[in-house]
Amino acid sequence: MKSESLLIRIGLALYLIMFFTYLIGPLILMSITAFNSAAFPQITPWEVLSFEWFPKLFNDDRIINGLKYSLIVGFFTVILSVSMGLAGALILTQIWPKMRATYYTIIIAPILVPGVVIGISTLVFWARINTMLGLEPDSFLANGIFLTVLGQSTFIASYCMLVFVARMQRYDTGLTEAALDLGASHVKAFRRIQLPFLMPAMASSAVLAFLASFENYNTTIFTHQKFATLTIVLSQKVRYGIDPSISALAFIIVCLTVFFALLNEVLNRRKQLAVANGAPVEAVTKGFKLPRFFSGNPAAIMFAVFVVGAIAVITFAQVYDPEPAKQVFKEDKRAKQKIAIEVMQQKALDQQREKQMKGPKIFESTDKKKSGENPGQETFGSVFKTDNLEEAAGTTNKTEAVGKNPGKSAFGSIWKSGNLDEIAPKDEKGESN
Amino acid sequence: MILKEYFKTNGLMMGWILLGLTFFWIVMLIVLPQLYMFELSFHPHLPPPEMGGPNDYLTLENYKYLAFGAEGNPDGYNKVDLAVFIRTLTAAAFVTVVDLLLCYPIAYYLGQSTGGGFVRLLVLLLIIPYWINEILRAFAFKIIFGDSGVLNEFLMFFAVIDGPIDFIRANVALYAGLGYAYILLMIFPMYNVIESLDRNQIEAARDMGAPWWMIHKRIVIPYAKPGISSGCTMVFMLSAGALAAPQILGGPSSLWFTQLVYQWFNTGGNWPQAAAYAIVLLVACLIIVLSVMKLFKVNMGDIGK
Repeated sequence: MKSESLLIRIGLALYLIMFFTYLIGPLILMSITAFNSAAFPQITPWEVLSFEWFPKLFNDDRIINGLKYSLIVGFFTVILSVSMGLAGALILTQIWPKMRATYYTIIIAPILVPGVVIGISTLVFWARINTMLGLEPDSFLANGIFLTVLGQSTFIASYCMLVFVARMQRYDTGLTEAALDLGASHVKAFRRIQLPFLMPAMASSAVLAFLASFENYNTTIFTHQKFATLTIVLSQKVRYGIDPSISALAFIIVCLTVFFALLNEVLNRRKQLAVANGAPVEAVTKGFKLPRFFSGNPAAIMFAVFVVGAIAVITFAQVYDPEPAKQVFKEDKRAKQKIAIEVMQQKALDQQREKQMKGPKIFESTDKKKSGENPGQETFGSVFKTDNLEEAAGTTNKTEAVGKNPGKSAFGSIWKSGNLDEIAPKDEKGESN
Repeated sequence: MILKEYFKTNGLMMGWILLGLTFFWIVMLIVLPQLYMFELSFHPHLPPPEMGGPNDYLTLENYKYLAFGAEGNPDGYNKVDLAVFIRTLTAAAFVTVVDLLLCYPIAYYLGQSTGGGFVRLLVLLLIIPYWINEILRAFAFKIIFGDSGVLNEFLMFFAVIDGPIDFIRANVALYAGLGYAYILLMIFPMYNVIESLDRNQIEAARDMGAPWWMIHKRIVIPYAKPGISSGCTMVFMLSAGALAAPQILGGPSSLWFTQLVYQWFNTGGNWPQAAAYAIVLLVACLIIVLSVMKLFKVNMGDIGK
């Protein structure tokens, strides 16, 4: 009996480890690739620790513009969907009971409708309205930001509505009745009693709405027109060739998420602990007492470690210069390459000799065969070459580097598209429209 | 009568604002766009000036195209598109089942544990991947499953395999990425329900000598049914309607149905055709979800709780 429970425990532990590896592992791997100087996001082979992808990210106009549009769209989406969600939830409590189920089904439906469908329907519908009103094809009704806000709000308002409904279920209607008995008008009772009660729900639904808007892809891809939000820009970059500056962005987003999640957890936990100890909340939130802050609060410890780590990494990045290490790495690579080439030449020579011994006919075709026999090595060789050229020539000569090794290998082609992407962002934009 | 009561409760201005917002949401954002798209799907593909003109008529052409292909198609059926359609639905169902099997134990464990700091930390770890952008999650899987990706390098380093395996072409990357993307939507509905299950029921069953699988079969699963169905519905609908993950992680030879819609819409510029495809996707998903819900006797109202 006891051994069986031990077995279950071990099984559970293994399961938990595997599950969370699946959940967190990809994010960690992706973050690590942001610090590899290799031009392709990879962990092995590891080249040199480098922070070069972060400045590259911040100097990317399309990313910065995408961020700007995302923030604009997010702002309006939050306003529209929180107010519609609140209105919808309030009406739900007041609608006559026969209608309630139908009404609820209608306002919950957008969550289940695929985002693609919402995007298309929003676009075609407002284009139709636009022509019906006789407006120009580029009027504000056909504006990408306007359409994206409407499309996203359609289903984000449903999320907000759910948050409000959940909060309202805990509302004590006796409070409103008491206010009415004390002579307040209905309107006043609503504004002074019920609305303040809903404030926390408003805050959390606003956060939820903003995050949902920020990461939305399926709807936005149809409605964004020429205002590519951050998510759209990212998807184009990922599809047409990836480079580690995307990993850098991912790393930043992961860090921000972890930071806010831990912060939220710490604050919640502190309040809970305080209440559990019988202390009024203000007593604990007022003074900053280090030991108590940490006691019984593992999230707080993690939070502190995280902040210290972040500061350490940033300072280190200011001081650290990857160039010497890169030089060493380059030398190393060159030496290895030299050896590889020598080995290859030796091999080829050996083969040639062998074939020479066999007869003159085969000798004629050795040149062709040589390249055919070592395809793998050549692929490798070209990668090294591209890289070396790139490093030697700085950033401007990238096209040249590619031009000199036109599509030699899988690596080469990935490189190429990535470079094209950077050099001719306008072209791509035109394509996507 | 009722309206008078309503305005008395809310005040004249507040009442109108609430009504106006809800009206705008339901009519202008939910109902009319869907209806208009439905109507558009029965129209031929015309340049905008000719819309409503003499060449505009109602037709089933767009739906016929999905079923039978272009006119004079030797196959009789539009095999390519229909195959994509069926594969999308089966793959989405597959992803849903895998997610369910993967998430049920963890939801049970988290829901039934007494909730110490460790469990709170686990919940936190669950939430974090969900707030990372969908594109970036797909990107992470591309790094892992690519030709020179982490997994291939790892396997080759330990000499498990000789050459790289093409995970992208085999759609392994796509299924792993899709399952990953919506895993949280499976866990949380189940977790919420199981958390409210009275532990005494399980204790009682155990005291009476029920083996662990019997406890799950007779107590936990029936109790958690709303959570399970709500999680499955969300994951199925979202994976069938996913666009980013198939675009990034999908193999070159296998398309997702949403990608066809996207192609008709953006590359082809044929809005009515895209609308018809979108309608087919929507209706098929709804039919599947509603019939599964009917089969397991779950209400629509339980979704989203």
